[in-house]
Amino acid sequence: MKKTLFSLVMAAVLLLTACGGQKSTTNPGSGTPVQITYMEWGDPAELDVWKAIVSDFEAANPGVKVNVDVSDWDSYWTKLKTLLAANTPPDVFAMDAPLYPDYQSRGVLLNLQPYIDKNPGMLDGLFPNTLTAYKTPDGYFGLPRDFQTIAVFYNKDMFDKAGVPYPKAGWTYDDLRATAKALTKDTSGDGKIDQFGYVIDPWDFEGGMSEIIWAYGGDLINADHTKTLLGDPNARQAFQFLHDMMFVDKSIPDPNTSSQYGGDLFLSGNAAMIATGHWSVPGYSEAKFKWDVVPMPKGPAGQATSVNSAGFVVAKDSKNPQVAFNFIKFVESAAGQTRLAQMGFACPVLESVAKSDAFLKQSTLINQQIFLDELAYAHMKPVFKGYDEWSSTVGDGLTPMWNGEAQLNPTLDQIVVAADAVLAKNK
Amino acid sequence: MEYGLKPLGRERLWLWAMLAPTLIGLVFGALGSILATLGLSFTHWDLLTPPTWAGLSNYINLFTNPAFLKALTNTFKFSLLYVPGVVIVSLFVAVLLNRKIRGVSVFRTIYFLPCVTSAVATALVWNLIYGRDTGILNYFLNHAGLASVCWLCSKNALMSVVVVNIWGAIGEGMIIFLAGLTAVPREFYEAATMDGAGNFAQFFYITLPLVTPSIFFQTLISTINAFQAYDYIYMMTRQGQGDSSVPVVVFSIYRNAWNFFNYGGASAQAIELAVLVILLMGFYFWLERRFVVYE
Repeated sequence: MKKTLFSLVMAAVLLLTACGGQKSTTNPGSGTPVQITYMEWGDPAELDVWKAIVSDFEAANPGVKVNVDVSDWDSYWTKLKTLLAANTPPDVFAMDAPLYPDYQSRGVLLNLQPYIDKNPGMLDGLFPNTLTAYKTPDGYFGLPRDFQTIAVFYNKDMFDKAGVPYPKAGWTYDDLRATAKALTKDTSGDGKIDQFGYVIDPWDFEGGMSEIIWAYGGDLINADHTKTLLGDPNARQAFQFLHDMMFVDKSIPDPNTSSQYGGDLFLSGNAAMIATGHWSVPGYSEAKFKWDVVPMPKGPAGQATSVNSAGFVVAKDSKNPQVAFNFIKFVESAAGQTRLAQMGFACPVLESVAKSDAFLKQSTLINQQIFLDELAYAHMKPVFKGYDEWSSTVGDGLTPMWNGEAQLNPTLDQIVVAADAVLAKNK
Repeated sequence: MEYGLKPLGRERLWLWAMLAPTLIGLVFGALGSILATLGLSFTHWDLLTPPTWAGLSNYINLFTNPAFLKALTNTFKFSLLYVPGVVIVSLFVAVLLNRKIRGVSVFRTIYFLPCVTSAVATALVWNLIYGRDTGILNYFLNHAGLASVCWLCSKNALMSVVVVNIWGAIGEGMIIFLAGLTAVPREFYEAATMDGAGNFAQFFYITLPLVTPSIFFQTLISTINAFQAYDYIYMMTRQGQGDSSVPVVVFSIYRNAWNFFNYGGASAQAIELAVLVILLMGFYFWLERRFVVYE
């Protein structure tokens, strides 16, 4: 019974996957061009930059053609999983470091170590923090493409209008709270606050939550990813601080309030400060107000921010792994990294390019150096198997508290239990 | 169940010919996925590595998984409000639009419009209507001297999305009821008028009994739709990290499969949903024998 049902399942699965279609890869020896596909999430605007990178790569590698496929974040992961299950994965695809172990541990990624070993010194110029996420005991199954540190973006016009001095590097969370309070206003006079001092992402840790937890001496999870530490006293204090800004000062909008603005409150001119990454820069460059960037504030345990890197991986079933690796190598090179830097969405992982004019003197005139300096005190956004489910469980658990319907401490107690169960399951 | 005439000879041929496209689609399209889902529900499968046998554990898990139980409760609450809502409102609209009034086709088109509009787009518009401080609904309430209501906060969100889902389904129900209403012979009304029956009496003693087949059909369809409801709800209640403040079963299936690498568990949820719908349909057909009048 067990066996027949199982073969029935497999037959059905095979039948379904057989409809997936064939990929157009040709034999490297046959004279026709070798085609590889590179798939990533991103903004449609990124496609032009990738086309430029690809044409540079193709010019340097005659007989090779790269197809670039860009999807939005949500569709990207659905599409990727479907292609992987159908055994027709893209040769090279983009990876978000926290999600990397979910794929690496399931054996769908190619071990790049043998290829890296043939190119000694290839990783030398890369920022070490960005490499850590992709390292496994068996070598690298992925390499960072670019990185994001989180900083506070502030609306200069709003500060000027309120006569509040701009935040300066070395400021503290108490400064942030006072500043945010001074900038929280009801500008239309209808009795409802419509200008907020500070915005955080109440669900994604890198959007203002993990930074303050670290600055208060707490942590999100222990080193071997078996215990959730959000209920520890320092983390609790950090949550209490954000909670009080939201519900006592009302300088951070709660989710029910911010959702009505349908998008980014900073960009729409309804918030004075926001904790976000470099990915916001191209969008904010269209804003009608002047703005700048300042490092994350200091807490009782010092200064802290979050660093996360997007990377490249190669599918284990790629028909042209060498070409795929060569493409990654090219994007990691100074030429490729320079093009990526000009795109303006992220920081280059190659130190020489990050410290060159290609990154520092971009069309948007802000202090880009801050994003690099922050690496000195940045903590890595957690990277472990089951991250997606763990962070969703934490996020779901926090929701009633951010909605003002549950108390902070019991909420954190419950979250730790639920999140630890997810960790145990994903071991 | 006496349905009167039975198809004969050539008619039978045409019957199968007309059904063929649907049946072929079901057999070659849906049947494979249904069998695969059934099979996968007995496995642990993460999509990327081969499935491993799980026995009944995915099903046992359904009884203890608080997230799923919450979703199931929401689906039931939603259905209890949605199904009667759709049937009553669309019958009401159909009766209104079954009269000889000027521009009736314009009204019919307007009521049908939500059915052919992208649910994602209209849900975004509803978000603007429902906004607590910025929404147009509260603007009117405030002008009427009433306090603002947080329509999409968790305590009101279920009601708010039910309203939108009913609004979105009026058009479809209206078409079914209009078809049913036109089949009611005019003479019945004429005779009733002669006997002095008013509009209400005519509705309750003639229209209502004679459209019971349509009511039955619409209840059936609405129930299936209620159990599958997802798009409006997700668009209006989604939160960061892919959560929803009104998680329903379909949402839970999607999230387990695509975000949590839990295709086995998601398949078990899908099968349980299907079984519940089948049981309800059985109950409806039992009710049909007792209450539905076929002329």
